[in-house]
Amino acid sequence: MALLEVQELSKNFGGLAANYQINLQVYEGEIVGLIGPNGAGKTTLFNCIAGFYPPSQGIVRFKGKDITGLPPNKICRFGIARTFQLVRVFKDMTVLDNVRAGAFFRSNRGIQAKNKALGVLDFCGLSSKKNMLAGGLTIADKKRLQFANALATEPSFLLLDEAMAGLNQTEVAEAIDLVKRVQQAGITILLVEHVMEVVMPISNRVVVLNYGKKIAEDVPEKVINNEEVIKAYLGDKYHASHRAH
Amino acid sequence: MGRNKEREIWLAIGGIFLLIYPFIFTLPFPQHIMIMIFLYASMGLAWNMIGGYAGQIALGNAVFFGIGAYTSSLMLMKLGVSPWVGMLVGGIISVIISFGIGYPCFKLAGHYFAIATIAIGEIAQHWFLNWDWAGSAVGLKLPILPESFIYFEFHKSKLPYYYIAFGIFLLTISCTYWMDRSKLGCYFRAIKGDQEAARSLGIDVARYKFYALAMSAFFTSICGSFYAQYVLFIDPDSVFPLMLSIIVCLIATLGGVGTVWGPVIGAFFLIPVSEFTRIYFGGGGKGTDLIIYGFLIVLISIYQPFGVIGLSKLFKKRETA
Repeated sequence: MALLEVQELSKNFGGLAANYQINLQVYEGEIVGLIGPNGAGKTTLFNCIAGFYPPSQGIVRFKGKDITGLPPNKICRFGIARTFQLVRVFKDMTVLDNVRAGAFFRSNRGIQAKNKALGVLDFCGLSSKKNMLAGGLTIADKKRLQFANALATEPSFLLLDEAMAGLNQTEVAEAIDLVKRVQQAGITILLVEHVMEVVMPISNRVVVLNYGKKIAEDVPEKVINNEEVIKAYLGDKYHASHRAH
Repeated sequence: MGRNKEREIWLAIGGIFLLIYPFIFTLPFPQHIMIMIFLYASMGLAWNMIGGYAGQIALGNAVFFGIGAYTSSLMLMKLGVSPWVGMLVGGIISVIISFGIGYPCFKLAGHYFAIATIAIGEIAQHWFLNWDWAGSAVGLKLPILPESFIYFEFHKSKLPYYYIAFGIFLLTISCTYWMDRSKLGCYFRAIKGDQEAARSLGIDVARYKFYALAMSAFFTSICGSFYAQYVLFIDPDSVFPLMLSIIVCLIATLGGVGTVWGPVIGAFFLIPVSEFTRIYFGGGGKGTDLIIYGFLIVLISIYQPFGVIGLSKLFKKRETA
């Protein structure tokens, strides 16, 4: 049985169909990459799964339970956590307090939450910065922190929205390493990414969206050679010249 | 560790000073000032829970102050119940009313929330101005009863009031201190920081806002009951004014929003200013303190948005640097 199952999900904003009848399964322990050009509806799909938007149609199931349209805080209880494309950390709070805010979700006691938070910070390599204000971190560290916040809620499924956009190569390598370690810890990951080079090496499967529809779903090697995908990324004209070569 | 110890010593010195203060300053006026500082510090701390920690700029806290004052006074006058019981009942009523206020208002964000709470404050004031059973615009003159702890009236000296106010202040600051370190405080600050991010971490934003407002309402209400017993006369203009809601906000802002000691520092600054201008300028100088407040707020928001507390942190940083 799939851990996450999205069935015929559609999301309309007025007359615009941002997602149209999308089917998607994510199995336990996988890293699934969700790619597509700008405006393909990746983030919308994400928000529908994480409860930030109610889908216009369709069903989202997690571990067999219907979670369609539940608010984010309830969805979090099922073990789903997310990060945001534009980093959202609590910038006036210290790094440790940020993660405590996540850790308090599973425990009411301050000591427990603090220890949990320290453990997560260590895992994410932020221990040395725990007393800094989150607003003063570099963009890479902010992304890492928001990752830590999400991990502190002890999810079994993690939604990463462009976790590596805007990072330099070293930072990307570090982030990829972190994602892999999270997977090894037994957490399933759905990863939205712009940068193909990032998605391909770490994803077990890749799902491609274009104009709100799913156009391909396969292992990374096959997806890059898929005609529809090349067309979507490069446009019809360049698609033709690509073939000529 | 060293800093913690140092801090404890300072706290102990401060606590002892406040305990023996009325024996050093035996005249009624300095005692009155300190009582007012305790009262406003408590209200500033209460405002800080919703406004400072949870970041919801509520400008209607006078509603709870008034409800506290009227509940204990009416219960004493109509039913002969001890104001201590009235204080508790007032607190409970305020909490219930805070849910009623929160339900529509928490749907609004930013300025709109502030405006809605101002409106509710005005509604409450006009309600009591026209409510005959509760004394309407004439107000309530509390009966002068023989001096007793149970009836919360002391005529010979301000000493009992001083210690009761000190007790209320200690209660409020301990609660704030506890909240600051607990899950509640952490969640409030997260909500203030970014509601969407807070929701994604499983925080039920609406519910925690209710908690913040309810706590704020309870402590403000207790202060209201105390005020009624201290002054023994209340009317809608003295316990429901918009100015009161704004002053408690200013106190917290001046001292440092979202910190345990900020509102206390704010009260120690502002209340003496207000009391002394009242004395030196009398009725003709009404509002002088507000001019000074306004000036201070402008300075604070330009130069030190984290309040006086932020200033001290700045110095500490320089020391360690």
